[in-house]
Amino acid sequence: MSKFGQLLLPSLFGVLVLASWELGVRWADIPPYILPGPVAVLSALIDNFPELAAALWITVQVTLAALVLAAVTGVLFAFALSQSRVVEQMLFPYAVILQVTPIVTVAPFVIIWVDNIFVVLLILAWMAAVFPVISNTLFGLKSVDRNLRDLFRLYGATKTQTSLRLLAPSTLPHFLTGLRIAGGLALIGTVVAEMVAGTSGAQSGLASRLLEASYRLELARALACFVLLGMTGLAIYSALDWLSRRLLRHWHESASDVGYDRH
Amino acid sequence: MERSQAPLLALQRVGHIFDSGTTAVEGIDLSFAEGSFISLVGPSGCGKSTLLRIAAGLMTPSKGDVQRNFDRSPGALGFVFQDPTLMPWATALANVRLPLDISGRSGAQAAAATALARVGLAEFTQAYPRQLSGGMRMRVSIARAIATDPKLLLMDEPFAALDEFTRFKLNDDLLALWQANRWTVVFVTHSVREAVFLSQRVVVMSPRPGRIAADLAINLPAARAPDLRQTHAFADECARVTAALSQVMEPGSHV
Repeated sequence: MSKFGQLLLPSLFGVLVLASWELGVRWADIPPYILPGPVAVLSALIDNFPELAAALWITVQVTLAALVLAAVTGVLFAFALSQSRVVEQMLFPYAVILQVTPIVTVAPFVIIWVDNIFVVLLILAWMAAVFPVISNTLFGLKSVDRNLRDLFRLYGATKTQTSLRLLAPSTLPHFLTGLRIAGGLALIGTVVAEMVAGTSGAQSGLASRLLEASYRLELARALACFVLLGMTGLAIYSALDWLSRRLLRHWHESASDVGYDRH
Repeated sequence: MERSQAPLLALQRVGHIFDSGTTAVEGIDLSFAEGSFISLVGPSGCGKSTLLRIAAGLMTPSKGDVQRNFDRSPGALGFVFQDPTLMPWATALANVRLPLDISGRSGAQAAAATALARVGLAEFTQAYPRQLSGGMRMRVSIARAIATDPKLLLMDEPFAALDEFTRFKLNDDLLALWQANRWTVVFVTHSVREAVFLSQRVVVMSPRPGRIAADLAINLPAARAPDLRQTHAFADECARVTAALSQVMEPGSHV
């Protein structure tokens, strides 16, 4: 498919949906507290932009901090697990428990134990994001080419040399896969945490604003928050995808277009 | 063919039993004279690869002794696997540099470039493995193994996955490299023609457990050229090895 088609077709579809939504709302005379049209959402976005942008910045800060923390702790944890089969068997179930426990159920405790709301949100978002980093990195560490391992042993490589020259690069694609998933989860985790923690006032993020607006039946403003959060998720995914392609472009199949060419 | 001096590598009564209880090899006595090219042939499951890994020190045999009469510094031993086993994230040059970089030798860049030139890849130093053909990747793998100028070169079916044309070409080039450098080479293969063409000595192994069935000196001139393959003498030597091999094949099995 041509690059033109790749952009044009989804855009055309989007415009069509928005147009029928706007026309439908006007034609059926639906009140804005039930369903505002896209034009009303856009004007709510523009009118409240400084306030929404400030709230978005808080959400983005928590999300990115949680993502970085998840990346660092996830890699360290995976590396520790990969060192010994016993350690892995002992600790991995707890990583799974961390993953399958809905963060909504943990939130009340964290809120009681931690005063700083930023830290509360950070902990909850980190909990949502860290597992895919751990499991993908661990998978990568375990699937290092055995012959290459032997070769490093044969040439008398130190543990540090093996880690830096063999384990790190061969695990990188798997880690980046985990990171791409973690990026989306960090945002979801932040949003859920904000909603559960019930933050309000100047320190509150975009999800709190969304909730606030919906309580007041200001649906246009709530939808504007929704749109901004969606775009943020897309931006985070695109940035991580770009990073991944950039780092792997020379050597990894996932970063090449070769497979998709049709001659 | 054997010289009077101590062999470079000697296996004495070597046997190995895997953790699963399977006996991989048993009662192996083999010595490898310095500068000789020796092939190990035999059906699957005869422990050729196990023996090579024992010789490399990657595995410790459960029985017997391995004597290595050479300086055991890293790089004194080169190993070529059946797969090229290259680091896909590194260029051909960086792959060849690996053993030199690990031991921190100076002049690694130049030595690696020279090794690549010797296998005919002088113009591909900056290529990544996936940009190279299967034969070229194997050349990079060989360049890496010879970059340290090893005393002992162990090769585990290096050309098994290549098409016949590429295989012949690599056989010719490997032979030329060996004739110029005289490393001690232990070469594992399934191909009788390849073994006879390259080697001074062919060791035939029998399966389950791996034992030495025949140890044949190849009566062909030391200086060899590709057209040797068309001679009667070559065909006779191949027939001799094939006969020894068919003795060890289990009834009903086909090669």
